[in-house]
Amino acid sequence: MKIKLLTGAIAAIAITATSALSDITVVNPQKPGGGTTVWTEIIMKELEKHLGERIVIRNIPGARDIPGINKFHNDLRFDENTIVVTHGGNGVSFLQEEVDYNYAEYDSIGLMNLNIIAGKRIGDDMSAPRFPAGSGMVPEAFAMTLMLCGPDKSMDEYIACFKENVTWVKGMSGGERRLAFKRGDLNGTRENPATYQKHVESDENAELWFHHGLLDPTTGNHVDDTNYPAGYQVEDLFEAKWGVRPSGEFYDAYKLVKSFRDGLQKAIWVNKGNPELRDRLVAAMNKMANDPESMAIIEDKNGKYEWFIGERGDKMRDTLMTFITEDALRNLVKFNKEALGLNSVLKENLFP
Amino acid sequence: MEVILQLIDGNSQYFLVLMLGVFYGFFVGLIPVAGATTGLIAVYSFVSYFHDPYMLVVFTTAVVVTSSIGDTFCGVVMNVPGAGGAAATMVDGFPMSRRGEAARALSAAISTSWVNGLIWGLLVFLFLPYYTKIVLYFGTAEMFSFLIFAMTCVIFISSEYWVRGIFALVAGVVLGLVGMDPDTAAQRWITVIPNFDFDTWRVYFTDWEYIEDGIQMIPVMAGVLAFPELVTAYRMKSEKITLTKKDIRGQLWQGVKDTWKYKWDGLRGGFIGGFVGLVPGIGGNIADWFAYSQTVALSRKKSKGDEDNHNGEGYPVGQGNVQGVIGCEGANNAQKATSYVPTILFGIPGAPFEVIVMGLLMYVGLELGSPAVLADGIFFDHLLSSYLWSLIIILPISYGFIRYAVYITNIPFKFYFWPIVASLIWTTSQYTGLFDDYLMFAMCCVFGLAMKYFKFSRISFLIGFILSHRLEASWVQFNTFGYGWEDLLLDPFPATLIMLAIVAAIWGIFFNKAKIDFV
Repeated sequence: MKIKLLTGAIAAIAITATSALSDITVVNPQKPGGGTTVWTEIIMKELEKHLGERIVIRNIPGARDIPGINKFHNDLRFDENTIVVTHGGNGVSFLQEEVDYNYAEYDSIGLMNLNIIAGKRIGDDMSAPRFPAGSGMVPEAFAMTLMLCGPDKSMDEYIACFKENVTWVKGMSGGERRLAFKRGDLNGTRENPATYQKHVESDENAELWFHHGLLDPTTGNHVDDTNYPAGYQVEDLFEAKWGVRPSGEFYDAYKLVKSFRDGLQKAIWVNKGNPELRDRLVAAMNKMANDPESMAIIEDKNGKYEWFIGERGDKMRDTLMTFITEDALRNLVKFNKEALGLNSVLKENLFP
Repeated sequence: MEVILQLIDGNSQYFLVLMLGVFYGFFVGLIPVAGATTGLIAVYSFVSYFHDPYMLVVFTTAVVVTSSIGDTFCGVVMNVPGAGGAAATMVDGFPMSRRGEAARALSAAISTSWVNGLIWGLLVFLFLPYYTKIVLYFGTAEMFSFLIFAMTCVIFISSEYWVRGIFALVAGVVLGLVGMDPDTAAQRWITVIPNFDFDTWRVYFTDWEYIEDGIQMIPVMAGVLAFPELVTAYRMKSEKITLTKKDIRGQLWQGVKDTWKYKWDGLRGGFIGGFVGLVPGIGGNIADWFAYSQTVALSRKKSKGDEDNHNGEGYPVGQGNVQGVIGCEGANNAQKATSYVPTILFGIPGAPFEVIVMGLLMYVGLELGSPAVLADGIFFDHLLSSYLWSLIIILPISYGFIRYAVYITNIPFKFYFWPIVASLIWTTSQYTGLFDDYLMFAMCCVFGLAMKYFKFSRISFLIGFILSHRLEASWVQFNTFGYGWEDLLLDPFPATLIMLAIVAAIWGIFFNKAKIDFV
């Protein structure tokens, strides 16, 4: 009898707890412990304070963090209380993989426009970089090729130049690549600002190599990141070495892929046609962004980067979409396949 | 001194959190196949209650330490691994339990795990900065040769059916490679769902998205290793074993004496576990099997009348010998302790549970591997003190619990077969909570039963499965960095490991008489 009562009590508590926690669900495409998971937990904890409602994080992990967002797109987004978090890797996958999700079908709640920073071993010959491979490193592969090979080359020449000069080391997890960089097996690596500070800036044998700059959604140009010394943006380093600003079809493909990765580095979306939830969340995001205490907590953990909330986030997404041209996509896929050995696909449905 | 003062100063919050962590970790350890990782994932649901970040350090450390002790009970009493890292204990622990020596097995396991936890914990936390060079030394060639050595030992030394063991290993590697190809980022071997086209009367296959990120560890561990053991135990004829309190006390003391008697087995296991934890990426789950294989190799085959055994019968390692329990338990806590080294020094997780620890601590503002944390004396004080206090507190708790655990062995297995199966299913469903989790578990169960029936070593399979990605990545990097066979054969450390692997294979095939028939 006691056992039955106890079981009943536990079940009742569980049901009550579950129903109390079912206000807003945010789909996170990663396992616990992942970078985006931690980001989501930090942001949602602060957002809850300003929203006055509970937010439940639902982790739906899977390969390259795609299945969770696909599930949101195909199914969960039609639930009136469900939103999703995406990261930069999802932006790259959107361009070059057969994914179901489509940013054009969502409204932005808020996004963080981040920069990705590359470090190098002090004193190493960076005309022969040894760099960790991966679909998330595609913008760095483009950047290295640009800086190494110079202006006015055909796609085939850039591809040949990359293969000749860059050792593209495959199969490394984040932890392995950090150790390999510390050990000197790799002489270049890249991180987001927070992990750059932790793993590269703190390493006495490493220094800043280059970064991609920050996208200004109004002009569509990348501007220098004031968190770092001037002159380390890829465009600036290119000009310093080759005497001209980078341009041309290879540069357009680089700009496309870096913008989708860094411009959508961390983003929160709701399905279009759900204005009530969108307005509630956007209002809470604005309150959060104006609360010095919340922002201090967020910036302490994620770095000081600008938030694009509501319509400004939509504007960022719309600007990114203008970078998608048939040539830029074709060249991106060609480089991925022939230089990096990736299994990228040309998504003709993305052509304007 | 500061450590002691933390408690006697009356820091009640510290003590409360520590005790909660100790009991929670011990409880999690008792859940079949769950272990520290699953337990720590659940902490996310209440992490926001930790307003003091150092209290979370205390709590997580207590969970890690005590879950390692708790999971021993699953192996010995229930014949299922408590967690991946404590699976080998059941090979000898459960047969001992069946013949009324559960208290002895548990006592030996806990004391060995405890001693190694203490030794390696002190070695880790007192000399942390000095390990930097060791962790950094371990490059591509060293990793590759170590993997070869570890796999060779597990296949050739510890299994009687080594030819089938090789097939099982290959099957494990193949299944482990399902999912994303690191070379091309393309999906590999996921087109497995059969469909039938009624128009053309043709069968065709579509992708199973669920396995795009690879087949997960927990259903494999639960289905391939744990479930067939549960079924075996269920079908065993139950014998009523009546133990008096005096008997149990006698066994507890006997277990402590066994720990001393087989101290070199325990310490060797600790050394292996300590080494595996120190090197990120090897996979902590192999530590206890690797240690166990060494114990098997070095054990003498016991003959009838051997005085080592409780009731005068002779039982070789693999059939309920306490030496087998001690050999693998040494690796258990040692691996947990040393996996803190790369995690704290570099912010690079030394084991899967450390990923969760890092994420939790980052949530409260402690970023492991960052200069701020490395210079944070309060962090280290809390880490060391909670580690030591957890060890001290869990010892009487676990010894006290042995008495009750032993009574479980008196209950016919059929009464707790279903609750254990339910807990396996629950643990498996923590990945996505979707139908696919249950399907995968069911498939793994069928596969595990078939392997056991046809005597294909499930241990070799699991080792292949666990190491598959590491093996592939090492091979790719080995080639990309331009290493050659000369680097394996001429560099001292890789060359030593390759030589040891060759010796282990030859000895395992032709000379080793102490192989086990656990399949």
